[in-house]
Amino acid sequence: MPPMPPVPPPLCLKGVRTRLAVPTACFSTSAARFANPPPKRKGTVAPPKRGTRTLNVKKGKSGFTQDTGKRPVQGERRAQRKRIVLTNDNALEVPSLKDLSRSNALDAANEGRVMGFPADVVDALRAVDAFKPTQGWSLFRRPAALMRKETMQLVGLMKEVEGAAKDGQQRKTIRRVLSGDRMSGKSTLLLQGLAVATLRGWVVVNLPDAQDIVNAHTDYAPLPKSSPPQYTQDTYTANLLHQILKANGAILEGISVTTNPKLPLPLPANPTLKNLVELGMVNPEVSWPVFTALWQELLQPGRPPVMLAIDGLSHIMRESEYMSAEFTPIHAHDLTLVRHFVDHLSGQKSLPNGGVVLAATSRSNAPTSPALDHCVKVAEALQNSPDNLPRWDLYRNVDGRVMEVLKGLQDPKTTDLDVIQAGGLTKEEARSIIEYYAESGMLRHQVDDGFVAEKWSLAGMGNIGELERASVRLRM
Amino acid sequence: MPFIYGFNFSEASLVKRSLQTIFGIGPKISQRIMAQHYIHPWATVGTVKGSTLMDITEQLSAMNLENDLRREIQGNIGRLRDMGTYRGRRHAMGLPVRGQNTRTQINTARKLNKSDRGGAGRVQM
Repeated sequence: MPPMPPVPPPLCLKGVRTRLAVPTACFSTSAARFANPPPKRKGTVAPPKRGTRTLNVKKGKSGFTQDTGKRPVQGERRAQRKRIVLTNDNALEVPSLKDLSRSNALDAANEGRVMGFPADVVDALRAVDAFKPTQGWSLFRRPAALMRKETMQLVGLMKEVEGAAKDGQQRKTIRRVLSGDRMSGKSTLLLQGLAVATLRGWVVVNLPDAQDIVNAHTDYAPLPKSSPPQYTQDTYTANLLHQILKANGAILEGISVTTNPKLPLPLPANPTLKNLVELGMVNPEVSWPVFTALWQELLQPGRPPVMLAIDGLSHIMRESEYMSAEFTPIHAHDLTLVRHFVDHLSGQKSLPNGGVVLAATSRSNAPTSPALDHCVKVAEALQNSPDNLPRWDLYRNVDGRVMEVLKGLQDPKTTDLDVIQAGGLTKEEARSIIEYYAESGMLRHQVDDGFVAEKWSLAGMGNIGELERASVRLRM
Repeated sequence: MPFIYGFNFSEASLVKRSLQTIFGIGPKISQRIMAQHYIHPWATVGTVKGSTLMDITEQLSAMNLENDLRREIQGNIGRLRDMGTYRGRRHAMGLPVRGQNTRTQINTARKLNKSDRGGAGRVQM
């Protein structure tokens, strides 16, 4: 039996249909058929015959892929990469932030506080390239740093250097290597040392990045009458003199030259140290003799203490990228500037007016230097667990010169060369810096013990870089 | 315009790169020459003293370079060819000389194995 046809709806749809009907023309294909053929697209050719070569990867005139993009101006990308931003207009001014000053810089009561840097110190620090592009200065209104335990340790050493003179003894030269985990604040600690030294009227000489000295990007020349041969870097040294002058201009201007140095170029009459430095700055070919003359001047009695610092120590504890005339790599210690620093670090030379020699290691940009790593590990172990010292792995090649320079690290008591371990912050320090973040408006959360403990743990027991990352940079 | 070995270079060009445009000087030799004159690898021709450039030119003129070197190489190949050796014939045909397969991938041989190996003139920078 066939299925029943559907029952038509009882409603009459007649009126509805007339309203739905759309007016259309009758169906026709003639318009499309009689239209002009579409114009051929330019550039389309028949597919290549079999066996012919179709791939054209040649550059130049015959190749058809000419890159017409605008090239960046020379130095533009480097400037972008190295740009230092020290202010953030969107961050709030922190009313409770106090500045470091000459009188309170050595004050032990600063421990655990965030202290701002005064404008002239910021200028001096900028002049010596102490700020690094990777640090978070651009997040806050103006540069400030936490006076943590390690900072106070360093400041205490500087106080010791200054204090010894009052008793009429020769001032001490204190040597420290800053070690610690990645992002634990080693470079910032160095910067704080430089800032305090600037405030206290020390002469600040900072080698901002050890990599730049040894990576063979500046010119070099053998030092005449040196045996074994040493190499000077005139352009780099001239630039360093420029930085020294910018950072210590007022001090250098007030000291006149007394040692009568023998220089290839004449000095003006009654020269000050500023004139001396300017001579080397303008004439790079005499920059090294000028630097040594400047150093001789600074060693004279009655001159201010010296802060000598370097960042990225492991770069200078290996062979440099420079080549000798015999086409063998030049050891970094054969470069005069590095030699100068290393002599002071090892204790071979000292600073009679007192001073601190600081060397920060790096964990993110550090070529392997087994001898340095070992010596730092030994020195750390001497502080942490003296009965369990690491031993040298006999299967590694030892760089004897580095070992010789750093052997003081294995006996800190007698040589006064030691490490300062930048560890994690304490909970109190973490609270102090997190409150600073909150007051700057960069962290919008109520700061209580639970919050601080959470961030402190997330930051791997108070690693300050991670703490900043967890609380300011990665806000959810 | 500074001159090295009779060729002039723009002041902004690297010394290493400029030396390597000379036929017969590759990366190793250019490095050695620069080390002998204490020129760092990123130095441009404009920053090097004129006297150093003259010393380099003098050093280069004692070496077998450019057309002398081309002539020597072409002479060696021509000798093989004139003797009618297998290697000479392979050179003349632009095919691999040392027993390589020729079924695929002989582009290097096609490019290099010629009687006038090294080309006729100087390669521009």
